[in-house]
Parts: sequence; structure tokens; C-alpha cells
Amino acid sequence: MSSARYVALASAFVIAAFYTAWAQQGPSASRSVEPAPRLADGTPNLGRVPGEKGVWNVPYIQNMGMRIPGPDGKTAAERGTASENGGRGGAKAEPDVPFLPWARGIYDYNSRNNSKYDPEGYCLPPGGPRLMATPYPMEIIQQPEHKRIFMVFEGATHIWREIYMDGRPHPQGDELNPTYLGHSVGHWDHDTLVVDVVGFNENTWLDYYGHPHTDLLHVIEKFTRPTKTTLRYEALIDDPGAYSKPWTVAWNIPWSAGGELTEYICQENNRYLLKLTDDFGEPVLGGR
Amino acid sequence: MRTKLLVAAAAITTLLSTAPVAAHHSFAAEFDASKPFKLTGVVTKVEWQNPHTIFSLDITDEQTKKVTNWSFEMGSPNGLMRNGWTRNTLKIGDVVTVEGSLARDGSPYGNAQAVVLASTGKRLFAASSRTDAQ
Repeated sequence: MSSARYVALASAFVIAAFYTAWAQQGPSASRSVEPAPRLADGTPNLGRVPGEKGVWNVPYIQNMGMRIPGPDGKTAAERGTASENGGRGGAKAEPDVPFLPWARGIYDYNSRNNSKYDPEGYCLPPGGPRLMATPYPMEIIQQPEHKRIFMVFEGATHIWREIYMDGRPHPQGDELNPTYLGHSVGHWDHDTLVVDVVGFNENTWLDYYGHPHTDLLHVIEKFTRPTKTTLRYEALIDDPGAYSKPWTVAWNIPWSAGGELTEYICQENNRYLLKLTDDFGEPVLGGR
Repeated sequence: MRTKLLVAAAAITTLLSTAPVAAHHSFAAEFDASKPFKLTGVVTKVEWQNPHTIFSLDITDEQTKKVTNWSFEMGSPNGLMRNGWTRNTLKIGDVVTVEGSLARDGSPYGNAQAVVLASTGKRLFAASSRTDAQ
């Protein structure tokens, strides 16, 4: 980093720190902790207030192994004790992830080749918690009168998911068709939206770093909005096909006031896939 | 003083909160962050497309005068527009300076992280998939 850039960055931090200190003491203190809005029936509103714009700015979470809350409720990333911009340490660097042996091997393989075969690079959608870790804006649209909630994602592949809030169970047996996003049913536990998801196919990774999963994956998501500008996301990853016990990941998703969704069609001109070769140098697409 | 600081802080906050990176394929699989470049040339082509906008420059080697056509990958149009771009920001014939990371395979290809237009001096972030680029 050049010294000019360093000075600029340092100045930005000083200004930000000053602003934070001022905001905590000054007259805008009440504004900085504006409570989450509610719908007419008192349910937390996880989306926009009528008359205002805004989207959730989904962060780029590359490695869920750093997002496991400790006894203090904070993750290594939130404590600042680990960085995704460092090297790739593979499974041995993540003692809190309960890999089964094959999952450990696949994860190390994905680490060694820098996630060369990431399905998102093929313009396939993220599934499970990675929906909340792929950095494009997202909106949550509640329709209590229809007993359903939509989550609309600009990114990944311009996709949406529907969460059934009408009390229905998951389909059983062959009625449960494995899909990228799975089958989501939700309910409110006080102010927490709890979403239970099953029925995933095996075409996605849990994250960019390449934590694998199987079609036995069962995810329990918890969404809370502690303030107007923060969505807390937590996901229990229960996959006995890949992990010896369930593990939990969590992070915050900031609100971007004034933001709106735009279009993103990943498949348009995906040159990465056209020139991707396998470990033997052969094209991944097309005949040999 | 307080107003100025607030304006600066607000500007920084806005920049950070409205400039998500594009994350499509693995940055590290294709590009080498330890091979930075800064190149100046003349725009020959602009493909304003998903998942990456790609533009090409004719770059003249100062010593040999040999001209090589390079291509550079940026983010997708949605990410670029949040960083102040439009489809007409780069035009054929414009002189621009690009900073970024070189392709691992040694081809005249790079991941652009910032672009400066010679005509205006304006520096625009390229919505790179490299996470620490901004």
C-alpha cells in the first residue's frame, strides 16, 4: 500500500471513529439506534417501511468456518481474530468445523485449488446459508395475508425464495424434490423468524471456500432485526452426511437505505466457464 | 468543523455501504494478487455484460513500440453502476489507466480494480471480485 493510500485510509478511520463517538453522544444518538419497524399486527417488519426505499446489503462471507459463534456469541471474524484475506489453511485450520473424513478431503482439495470449481463460477445459484453470503442486495417481502414471505436476491443468479408461513409440513419421501434452494417453512418465535429448510440437491457449496454438503442437509435459519439497520442472521447446519454434528454460523447484514434491486443475469457471457479446464487440462465444457 | 467531518464520514459510509464487490468466480483461481499492474492504453472494445464487463486496450510498449491488445475484467453492470459507472463511461478511443492483478496464465489479461480516465482524471472502482481491492 502506498503511503498516500495509507494516510487516506488512516484518515478515514479517524474520521469514522470521531463520527461514531459523536453519534453516540450527540443528538442523533436516538436516530442511530432506530428500532426495527413492525407491521400493523405487531410482527417485525424485515423489509421496507412504506414510502421508503432500502435493501439488505448482503456481505461477502467467504469462509463460514470463521463465522461460528463462540461462548460470547461473537464469531472469529467479529472478534477480528481471523481474516478471509489471509491464506487458505484447509480443514486443519478450522477445528470448530466437525468435518467427516471425506468432507475434510474435499474441503482441502477446494482450498488447494483456490475454489477453482466453485458452482457459483458456473452461474449456478447458492443454496442454504450461502444465499446470505453472496454479496448482492436482497429484499425481504412479507405477505402475512397470504401466509408467506419472499426473499428476493439480485445476485447469485437473480433468484427468489418463498417461505411458507401457513403451517404446512415439508413434503415427505419422493414428494420432496431435491432443489438448489430447498423447501422452506417458517414461523415466528416472538421477534425471530425461524425458517426450516430441507430438500437440497448436492450441486452447491456452503460457501466460497468450499465447505461441502449432502442432500441430507437440514438448515434452521433465524432472522432478527435488532435495529432498523441490522439484520442478524444465524443458521444451524445439520448435515450428518458431511459433518459429525450440527454447527452454527452467524453474521450481520446491514441495511442500505435508499438502495434498490437491479438486474443481474450471470449466465449472459460467462467466459470463466468457457475456458475452465479440469485437473487433466481438458475443457470442463464440450467434448474431448 | 463538525459539519465537514460529518459530510466526510457520510461520504465514506456511503461508499462502503453501496459498493459491494461482485463475486462470481474464484479470483484466486484466475488472477495473482501478488502480480499487480498499472497500464495505460487506448480503448478498443467494451463488452458491458454479465457476469463481468470486459474492456480491451491497445497498449504500446514504450521501448519496442510494439502494440499489444489487452483485456480486463471488471464487475457486472449492476455493481459498476453502484460505483458510478454507466455503459458509456468508457468509449472506443478513450485513453485510460488501469490498475489491478495479472492473470496467472501469463496472457494479456487482468482483473481491473480501478480505472482512471485520462480526459477527466476521475478514478472509478471496478467492482472487482478481489475482496481487499477497495
